[in-house]
Amino acid sequence: MRELELFFGPQHMGMVGNFSITLKVEGDQILEAYANPGWLHRGFEKLMEYRTWIQNFPMVCRINVVEPDHMEMVYAMAVEELAKIEVPERARYIRTIVLELARLSSHLFGCWAYANMLGFDTVAQWAMYHRDLILDLFEELTGGRVYHIYIWPGGVRRDFPKGFKDKIINTLHAIGSCIPDYDSTFFNNPLFYARARGIGKINQEEAKKLGATGPVIRATGLKFDIRKIEPYAVYDEVDFDIPTREEGDAYSRVWVIRDEMIQSVGIIMQCLEKMPPGEVYNRVPNPFKWKIPKGETYVRVESSRGELGIYLVSNGEDRPYRVHFRTPSYPHGLIILERVLKKANIADVGNIMISLYVVAPEIDR
Amino acid sequence: MKREIRALFKNVLIEEKGKKITITAKKEQTLELLRFLKNKGYNYLVLISAVDWIKEKEFELIYVLSSYVRKEKLHVILKTRIPRENPRFKTVIPIFENAEPYEREIHELFGIKFEGHPRLTPLLLERDYRIPPFRKDFDTRKYVKKFFEEIPSIEP
Repeated sequence: MRELELFFGPQHMGMVGNFSITLKVEGDQILEAYANPGWLHRGFEKLMEYRTWIQNFPMVCRINVVEPDHMEMVYAMAVEELAKIEVPERARYIRTIVLELARLSSHLFGCWAYANMLGFDTVAQWAMYHRDLILDLFEELTGGRVYHIYIWPGGVRRDFPKGFKDKIINTLHAIGSCIPDYDSTFFNNPLFYARARGIGKINQEEAKKLGATGPVIRATGLKFDIRKIEPYAVYDEVDFDIPTREEGDAYSRVWVIRDEMIQSVGIIMQCLEKMPPGEVYNRVPNPFKWKIPKGETYVRVESSRGELGIYLVSNGEDRPYRVHFRTPSYPHGLIILERVLKKANIADVGNIMISLYVVAPEIDR
Repeated sequence: MKREIRALFKNVLIEEKGKKITITAKKEQTLELLRFLKNKGYNYLVLISAVDWIKEKEFELIYVLSSYVRKEKLHVILKTRIPRENPRFKTVIPIFENAEPYEREIHELFGIKFEGHPRLTPLLLERDYRIPPFRKDFDTRKYVKKFFEEIPSIEP
């Protein structure tokens, strides 16, 4: 059979997001795959060098569209470490709640993408609807639905509004009561099993070698979670489990995501119960004159896709000297995707890419 | 580990801060050090980054290493400097496979050549720039103004 070159994406029905892969195919089998990112490169890291420390907040959250809160958190943490700012106890609890809500909304969005791609339209609509309920919460708390700009150096921007605690609990109940429906229509569906089983398989040794994190490595049986290894916010004060699976294929990755959502709900409930009263914000100096002492740091958090890190260098001036984000999709979407796609079928490209949980804007930055 | 590094590698600066350890090494020692750290259990390359120190006329390369198991020190940050004039460095792909995209990106954005890298093709950028765009002497604002004002407007 003849070998062909196939340009898959960024405009293609089977492709999700602005990402492109050049495939070398024979029949419908893939021989080689070359990831081709850059369609969303906005040069944020360079643009941030022109703006003051506070002015960068509206920019960092736009690096990953699906879960902006983790982006804000990691940048705020790096600034706090360089400027030596303390965060009040209540703010740390609020941050944890916001981050877990963001993880839930991001996982639901992931479920939407995966279900939609496989043709489970009903499940996709449910997931989108439930994500919207969480966005409603965010709208009330921060004023923005998608981009919140809520977490700041020194705490969070404002306290919970009146009755907000009950609203969170009601929303979580509304979503949680649908878990049996989700299970029977999607996660335990034999059709889903047939489509996702054994697809995009990667073993633990290779995943470690290629720098995988998040659901990708947890689906291979390794309990690796930064919330446990290097706790930030109040993750060392709440009790939760790290769900893992053994097989390392698309099916197990989706199941890890499902189990993680349930853990997230548990974390939020515990935080709501333990939350102390008090201040939510430690004042920082005038942002227009705020200079941060010389130094550099590497800080990381566990975003819903894996290890999200930032390498931040300060030159003692009112703006950063160099910012570099280590995003989880970077190794997943470039090097792991290329390996996993070998010997796969063309029909499974979108399947594999979504199950690796790749978000293109995160790669391009 | 600190003592071992000091004994094996001369003139290495080691700084400890909380759970991080920062090592500043000469460029000749870097690959050896990376190999040594990998054997010590820091087998997860998190990030390769570059910083343009234009006043000192040097580029700084940063290798952030970590481990998949909990260790006493969670991060090792290895820093090394290379001259800004005709910058070259050896690739670390033989030691860490996942260095490939990071080195490609640094080659594109900073113009640092990695010897022995099999695929130094463009990764993110759309067109050729005279100066690699993440260098400090590349002025984004000036470039945008010049580039987009050259495009004629639609109205006559």
